[in-house]
Amino acid sequence: MTEPPQTVEPTAPEPEATAPVPDGGAPQTPAAVRRRALLAGTAVSALLILAIVFGSRLLRDFDSALLPYAVATVFLAFGVAHRYTVWVSAPGARRLFRQGWRSFFSAANFRKAPTALPKMIATYLGFQKFLGARSHARWAAHQLLFWGCVLAALITFPLTWGWFTFTSGTGDGPGYEMRIWGFKVLGFDSLNILGWLMFHGLDIAAVLVIAGASFFLWRRMKDRGAVTGQRFAYDLIPLIALVVISVTGLLLTFSSIFLHGGGYEFLAILHMVSVVFTLIYIPFGKFFHIVQRPAAVGMQLFKYTSRRKDGAAEELQACRRCHEPIDTPAYVDNLRGTMRDLKLDFDEWAEYCPRCKRVLRGNAYLTHVKKGFR
Amino acid sequence: MMGRTIFIDPGRCIGCQACVSACRECDSHRGKSMIHLDYPDEGHSVASLPTVCMHCEDPVAPCAEVCPADAILVTADGVVQQADTTRCIGCANCVNACPFGVPKIDLQAKLQMKCNLCYDRTAYGLAPMCATVCPTGALFYGTLDELRAERPGVQVADSFTFGTSTVTTGVAMVVPADKVQWPVPGGLPVVQINGKDVR
Repeated sequence: MTEPPQTVEPTAPEPEATAPVPDGGAPQTPAAVRRRALLAGTAVSALLILAIVFGSRLLRDFDSALLPYAVATVFLAFGVAHRYTVWVSAPGARRLFRQGWRSFFSAANFRKAPTALPKMIATYLGFQKFLGARSHARWAAHQLLFWGCVLAALITFPLTWGWFTFTSGTGDGPGYEMRIWGFKVLGFDSLNILGWLMFHGLDIAAVLVIAGASFFLWRRMKDRGAVTGQRFAYDLIPLIALVVISVTGLLLTFSSIFLHGGGYEFLAILHMVSVVFTLIYIPFGKFFHIVQRPAAVGMQLFKYTSRRKDGAAEELQACRRCHEPIDTPAYVDNLRGTMRDLKLDFDEWAEYCPRCKRVLRGNAYLTHVKKGFR
Repeated sequence: MMGRTIFIDPGRCIGCQACVSACRECDSHRGKSMIHLDYPDEGHSVASLPTVCMHCEDPVAPCAEVCPADAILVTADGVVQQADTTRCIGCANCVNACPFGVPKIDLQAKLQMKCNLCYDRTAYGLAPMCATVCPTGALFYGTLDELRAERPGVQVADSFTFGTSTVTTGVAMVVPADKVQWPVPGGLPVVQINGKDVR
């Protein structure tokens, strides 16, 4: 015996829709978000100050000539922590942030796929494979820019914080010792290849950055796709800033080698000003993508682990009309929760594929709006 | 509804795909077509429906609202731009939240792409590629007054219902005069039998 057809009006609220939204966290008022962001910014910058003080052995190793850089990093820490907190408080980011960290801390996930996370970090954050799918040239240029910036950051941040020191027992070399937090990690001769690399690391970084940034500047002037909607402050200033930092940095080396230090003090101030402004600008503009990009790994890890539930590959959620796969059920639930958080009350629609949404709208137009359309 | 916008009249669409080809020539996504041309009742009817981004105004851009990376910018003129390439993480939230089924995603490139009203052209007063080449006027670009100068008495609607929600858009659709009072049904099935959509 078959059941009689039952007709339901979906305009009535679904039990699912009125249920408490799981994983969304408590609703947050803008004032509460601002307070939390202020607190996070203050806490992170205070921690950095403490790390500078203790890392430089109570300022014994702190180079006072680098004070403006160190102060700029404290502002940078405040700005990044503040904006990050505001960013992850928005419904879409908050839900993926939680799911990403939940997947990250899951021991079961780790046991099932221990290599998944390192692989994702290497492909998304290190080698940025996705950029290669956009354009090989952009990938190459971005790799130059990325590794140049990473190298420069690894050298300069600990230096300005007084965490690294290079000292010579004989006063002016050539034997040098590199110490981290006061502990000797490396002894080297400044005249051999290792010594040259150690003392010219920033020059190498500058060359990489100039090559990468120049390509992107050229592209921003020539590529009509990139030019569309481009904004000077958002798209061009960061590239110009990187070039200015790199060129003024290289000029310092040029001055010391070829000009016997001529103009060094002026160049040092120019370099410092460009670096300080760029550091302070990081939380506000395009550079913030450096902080945001790891979210791609969190999102991917969430999708990956939700697909591998119970060991076997879980079936993807199928479109309710055409049964084509949409995404993992956990992802669709997460999106529906986000939509409900945002009072987008058509979250049920997320269970249809984009094509079916269009076709159903076309059908509705045919049936209810303009019958002559047939 | 924006001042100068696209007006879609599915009744005029002959499914020639000229808009699909022209869209591919748009400088902001050269080589990739962002317009969708669907045949709602394929096999029974020649009816076709072109879909461009509707540039939702209220709620403003659901795609941008659900984006976890703040990648979708809505410019001051109401145009919902395609994802910022530096920010987009390719999560597909926008693809699945859009009530009109507009955004596309390249999972390899981790990048969403969508109709941006040919911003490289419309920002300079030119018509979008699709409306420029449409031979029947199913896609018209201009103001409502300009549309009415060509088609006297034409009525348009810029609100769509999805279940209990209404979405007001920047792009409008041509509707018969007696239908202008009501939002256009967005297609979210309103009748189910034994849990199955029967529309």
